[in-house]
Amino acid sequence: MQVTLEHVTHTYQPGSPFQSTAIEDVNLTIREGEFLALIGHTGSGKSTLAQHINGLLAPTSGRVLLDGQDIHQKGYDKREVRRKVGLVFQYPEHQLFEETVAKDVAFGPKNLGLPEAEIAERVQEALNKVGLKDKDIAEKSPFELSGGQMRRVAIAGVLAMRPRILVLDEPAAGLDPQSREEMLQLIYGLHQQGATVVMVSHSMDDVARFATRAVVMEHGTIAMDGTPEEIFRHAERLEQMGLDVPSVCKLGIRLREMGLPCPEDIFREEQAMEALLALWKEGKAHGAE
Amino acid sequence: MALNNITLGQYYPADSVVHRLDPRIKIVLLIAVIVAIFLASNLLAFVPIAAFLVIVTRLSKVPVKMMVKGLKPLRLILILTFVLNLFFLQGETPLLNLGFAVIKKEALTMAVHYSLRLILLVLFSSLLTLTTPPITLTDGLERLLSPLRVIHFPAHEMAMMMSIALRFIPTLLEEADKIMKAQTARGADFETGNLIARAKAMVPLLVPLFVSAFRRAGDLAMAMEARCYHGGEGRTRLRVLKCQKRDYIACAVTALLIVCVVLCGKAY
Amino acid sequence: MAEPIIAVDHVSFAYEEDGPLAVRDVSLQVEKGSFHAILGQNGSGKSTLAKLINGLYLPTEGTVTVCGMDTKADENTWEIRRRAGMVFQNPDNQLVATVVREDVAFGLENIGIPTEEMPARIEKALTDVGMLKHADKAPHLLSGGQKQRVAIAGVLAMEPEAIIFDESTAMLDPKGRRDVLKAVQRLNKEQGITVLWITHFMEEAVVCDQVHVMHRGQIVMNGTPREIFSDVERIKPYRLDAPPMARLAAQLRAQGMPLKEGILTVDEMAEEVKRLCK
Repeated sequence: MQVTLEHVTHTYQPGSPFQSTAIEDVNLTIREGEFLALIGHTGSGKSTLAQHINGLLAPTSGRVLLDGQDIHQKGYDKREVRRKVGLVFQYPEHQLFEETVAKDVAFGPKNLGLPEAEIAERVQEALNKVGLKDKDIAEKSPFELSGGQMRRVAIAGVLAMRPRILVLDEPAAGLDPQSREEMLQLIYGLHQQGATVVMVSHSMDDVARFATRAVVMEHGTIAMDGTPEEIFRHAERLEQMGLDVPSVCKLGIRLREMGLPCPEDIFREEQAMEALLALWKEGKAHGAE
Repeated sequence: MALNNITLGQYYPADSVVHRLDPRIKIVLLIAVIVAIFLASNLLAFVPIAAFLVIVTRLSKVPVKMMVKGLKPLRLILILTFVLNLFFLQGETPLLNLGFAVIKKEALTMAVHYSLRLILLVLFSSLLTLTTPPITLTDGLERLLSPLRVIHFPAHEMAMMMSIALRFIPTLLEEADKIMKAQTARGADFETGNLIARAKAMVPLLVPLFVSAFRRAGDLAMAMEARCYHGGEGRTRLRVLKCQKRDYIACAVTALLIVCVVLCGKAY
Repeated sequence: MAEPIIAVDHVSFAYEEDGPLAVRDVSLQVEKGSFHAILGQNGSGKSTLAKLINGLYLPTEGTVTVCGMDTKADENTWEIRRRAGMVFQNPDNQLVATVVREDVAFGLENIGIPTEEMPARIEKALTDVGMLKHADKAPHLLSGGQKQRVAIAGVLAMEPEAIIFDESTAMLDPKGRRDVLKAVQRLNKEQGITVLWITHFMEEAVVCDQVHVMHRGQIVMNGTPREIFSDVERIKPYRLDAPPMARLAAQLRAQGMPLKEGILTVDEMAEEVKRLCK
């Protein structure tokens, strides 16, 4: 299963004085099993792009293909796209509305017209996946939960539709460090279980840790596309775009500026550790000579 | 994002003497003109009013198209007013026999009279909202109504409520758009089905929207308190309204209009 | 020691009578001109503490003194709020007016500043946060970071001695966060405005003079950022995470690399590695 965006351009309010082009001529193929990080400034078009992946927005020009089929052509059942591609918005807890957690999670499957028994099964499965196994929680009002738990419920609501591709817009925004880490581990776990993940993120440390591919957006177009290694090799370029780079990347740049032979592709903590230990041991050996 | 640029009300930004008039004066003058419209006892009396409308519109630099747009929602009422008056008013001079009804001359005059009255009312009111930003209008209303504080009329509170509403409408619209999309992504359908199905489909939109609006209201109340807001008492204002020469001229012209209207009514 | 501008003395607070304490026996002093941070996870009571200082909540026990005034005395309320302003978390929910300039005026109008004085104060406040060129825009057209800077200008125009930031960067993107923090640091350094910065971002606490860690309604650690973060293991139970460089340094030390204590920033780490490897 893959989604392909072909020459996708999206213009808001075309023909009005407020016309603005959010993304322009974007070509992107999301491949099965990827963990794709979508990076960029606010206003770089990444959220608009994310909304094209499940057909919420239709391109002004260009095509969006799901397994080779144009999802906006006449006669194509949109529900099919919604079922296969799940989209989790920023602060998804703001969309909760039902009396109980279980009912809220059931909203998606119900819309798919599934039989009661299957809905119940899916709700339980989705709540298990997000780590809310507790039977009590399912019967609680979602508005009684903590912020982190509410967000999990909202994600469960999307997972209950059993999407093959999961698109998440800044799933960790506004969470404290511990809840953030738990959320990222949850998403990483879903990816390990076989889901294709597209995650809009501002945190380069997260991208470095989890993504198998990173796409950098700037002014509505794709500026960079590659593995995190490839992207972070151009740390200077990212900084020029006003984006953060992982702190260990910055450390590498500083060290090289100081004339130390620090290798280039360091972007995870464990890589930095190895490299620094090697540097130190080498230094010691020299000193001993 | 898509809703970022909605315009509120129908304010038409331009630099004109009508735009610059004190909002209080504009509101009072609108009332005066409305009185004039009702004073107009015959068709001749509408001539000065119409002329006044044309002149003010020209001065305001508001395109005629924008003015006419204001009449559109009232099409049906206008037609009804005209037709009902035409057929059901009594008169003595038959004008036209349609077979099923006879149109009388007096009825035609009255039909034209009532329709004109309605059209002018709408056009003058539009002129006010087209040339005054909603927030200025609110401001003007607050000052005009502030003497009523003596009888405990909450002029300041009402104006504050209106301006907060104006500030938050774009934010809430944006939010509604987002929630709608989020629920659509979960397979919700807001567009098809009968009336009851559609009303039911609004629940997943309205509940989160209300929850959010209440949360915002709580936050805002706290933020306002933290910024020393404690009602209208002892409050100074950044924008102070002061009548200028043009405001007095506008008053004089409008007074003249009323005199003309009354004279025209008598002359006939 | 400079005189404390904010003094919290054995303060406890419960939202409901006989309810659980959101803040328990907290004492804390913020000296004039300093930059303090309160760190803690969500629900640790840090926001409640902020609202106690501004007089939005009144302590159930103990006293809060701001600029020498007790928050419990009614007649002090408005003066306290003017002298110790507050900026909140959600940028959308604290701007009142439909135009930036008028929003900055809001506080001034409330405390009865004469109309003639307002434009100059507004202009200065907007300049201080780098938002003057947006003075005539509608707030909903600004980015989150810009809205927060407008909110700061609104407080600043009232010429406060201290500003309390209640997780004011939590909802911003990295650029917005950087811009807001920079603006605040500048106000602290150049105008001597006392800052109490409440956050759960460790990187932000690094720039402060003093850090107080809150956990379950209590202050559990006090110290300079260096003292707090040098012990990576000690802050873990409070569901906090050390800044990346402090974490890396701890791991390297565990491997036998003799890095000095108290490394917090990339530059400090680079210098230290250079020293060891030369």
